[in-house]
Amino acid sequence: MERKEAFSAGKGDLAVEVKDVSKCFRLYRDVNYNLKEKIINWRKRGYELFWALNDITFDIYRGETLAIIGPNGSGKSTLLRMMTRILRPERGEIRMHGKVAALLDLGAGFHPDLTGRENIYLNASILGFKKREVDRIFDEIVEFSELETFLDNQVKNYSSGMYVRLGFSVAINVNPDILLIDEVLAVGDEAFQAKCLERIRKLQDEGKTIVLVTHATNIAAQLSDRILWLEYGKIRKLGNPWEVAAEYHEAMSLRPLGEEAGSKELEITEVGVFNHDGRPSEEFQTGSPMTIRVRFQAENPVEDPVLSISIHDSQGLLVYGTSTQRRGFSLGTVEGEGCLDFKIPSLMLLDGRYFLTVAARSRDGLVNYHHLDKKYQFDVKSQGKDEGYLGMNCEIVRLRKA
Amino acid sequence: MRLRERLRELLRSRELLWNLTRKEVKVKYKNSLLGFVWSMVYPMIMLAVYYVAFGVIFQVRSEGMRYFAFYLLAGILPWNFFSTSMLLSVGSVVTNSLLVKKIYFPREVLPISQIGAQAFHFLLQELVFVVFLVIFGVPLSPWILAFPLVMMLQVLLLVGLTLFLSALNVYFRDIQYFTELLLLAWFWMNPIVYPVTFILGRFPEWAQNIYLINPMAHITLLYQYVVYNSPVNAPSAVYISWKGILGVVGGSLVLIYLGYLYFTSQEHRFAEFI
Repeated sequence: MERKEAFSAGKGDLAVEVKDVSKCFRLYRDVNYNLKEKIINWRKRGYELFWALNDITFDIYRGETLAIIGPNGSGKSTLLRMMTRILRPERGEIRMHGKVAALLDLGAGFHPDLTGRENIYLNASILGFKKREVDRIFDEIVEFSELETFLDNQVKNYSSGMYVRLGFSVAINVNPDILLIDEVLAVGDEAFQAKCLERIRKLQDEGKTIVLVTHATNIAAQLSDRILWLEYGKIRKLGNPWEVAAEYHEAMSLRPLGEEAGSKELEITEVGVFNHDGRPSEEFQTGSPMTIRVRFQAENPVEDPVLSISIHDSQGLLVYGTSTQRRGFSLGTVEGEGCLDFKIPSLMLLDGRYFLTVAARSRDGLVNYHHLDKKYQFDVKSQGKDEGYLGMNCEIVRLRKA
Repeated sequence: MRLRERLRELLRSRELLWNLTRKEVKVKYKNSLLGFVWSMVYPMIMLAVYYVAFGVIFQVRSEGMRYFAFYLLAGILPWNFFSTSMLLSVGSVVTNSLLVKKIYFPREVLPISQIGAQAFHFLLQELVFVVFLVIFGVPLSPWILAFPLVMMLQVLLLVGLTLFLSALNVYFRDIQYFTELLLLAWFWMNPIVYPVTFILGRFPEWAQNIYLINPMAHITLLYQYVVYNSPVNAPSAVYISWKGILGVVGGSLVLIYLGYLYFTSQEHRFAEFI
């Protein structure tokens, strides 16, 4: 939060300037790799133009973390690769102010026949860092990678996980001003992933500029100060991470807003989410009460229907769900209007945006009366005592005798 | 202007260049028992073959040449350096496609580091060669101190040629195969297994001139002059033309300039093409 204010104030302090950038690829119908074919086909233009990026303009402030999201083929990676100078824009200009390191493909510069130790130096120098600089942080790299014992083994004997760990450790520890990360957070086991995220947070605290391309919008929203949403090579939206992430989900039909289904013999007419004051709200504190009120009606009598609620997180994972049936609650025969409260005395969810699904069905599950898929949403904020999915009570007690 | 900027960047990447060169050297014999001995074996086999063919069968040595084996080596070693450098560096951008696609660095370090690694092997071979010359009591000349200059000239020529060819090879893989064939023929265009007098004076003027256009011919003659001391050990194999040498220097510099210009103008397209 604080950081965000810091750079909205100092607009002059730019780390990356992207100005009117367009990138065009030639899509060759059939690549003429040899001279003969090239000569035979010299008159034909053997390619079509594909504009991967179109007139992109934005700035990244010093110390900011920008996440770039978008569907496959939207130009995310192209944009990142132009920032590293691997590709050059056809039009426009990209200016990078500061030393850049890129995590595009971990361990791309490794040679299988060299040892881990030798590869650390080689890889770092490919990334543009001097031996002197690497010497200083060598122990840090090794410690981060947790590969001390394998340091003098040839890298070809490493498992793929070890390979990636070494690559990430080098790139993230070489201390760039601007760090470009492409989709690499998805690799490694969970423990290592958590460690990487932690390191990224530390880099943020140190005031480094980070550009992150990812498919995991929840990671993007958590880590970044702004999200850039690319689609068909154009900027669809740039701004507040939670807003853009939610909107992105909506568009990507991960969250088909208001998608309804069902025979409507029993119709859900209204759903309300209320806070401790009994007021409708979309923002909750972890640990505060929540009431979900469901109004329904049936024109003709419906025998013993079941109402259910479920809560999904922004990635579509079912976090919580229950139903009248599971809880042994019977609605009996419903005719006309009705109303039901799901009262949650203490919300145990942690920070993030959540989506609420409310549904009505027959007891045997064969008839779907009405299903409102992820139609409602609310945000949860915690006091930061816990991390993960759940806010639980945890007492920390120091024992006198060990 | 842009070129000067590029050169400055290359200078900044000298550590990378050094590291890549070291990598090439290290990796080459990493899992072999004999290690660096192998870099001696190849020229030795070549020597044995040519010695039997031209020394024993064709009696080339009868041209008043002492230490024919050493004469051969004086030409074979630089040629070996030249041809392996060419072959490896012309394909170097394509071979390292993974790197080129994923990481930015001045791409010219790829061909140049290959030349660097071969230069290391070459120096090692030359060192052993000189030790042999001393052991066998071959009279040397103080000109041997000029060896680094000759080698520098050869490296200039190599860099110029490979910058051009390695960039072109990204678009046309034919360049690689073409280079192999070219080298096969080129070998015989140098006074390596025969003395230069086999050409000079025996063929019409225009044919001789064509022969002397070949920069490697002049470089070979220079190596024979400074290392093998050809004026003493094989007077018939001496031919030093200042015009030719200046031509090689000038030609190499022009080639480097144009090669570098071409390489840097194409470089940004490499990642898309490979």
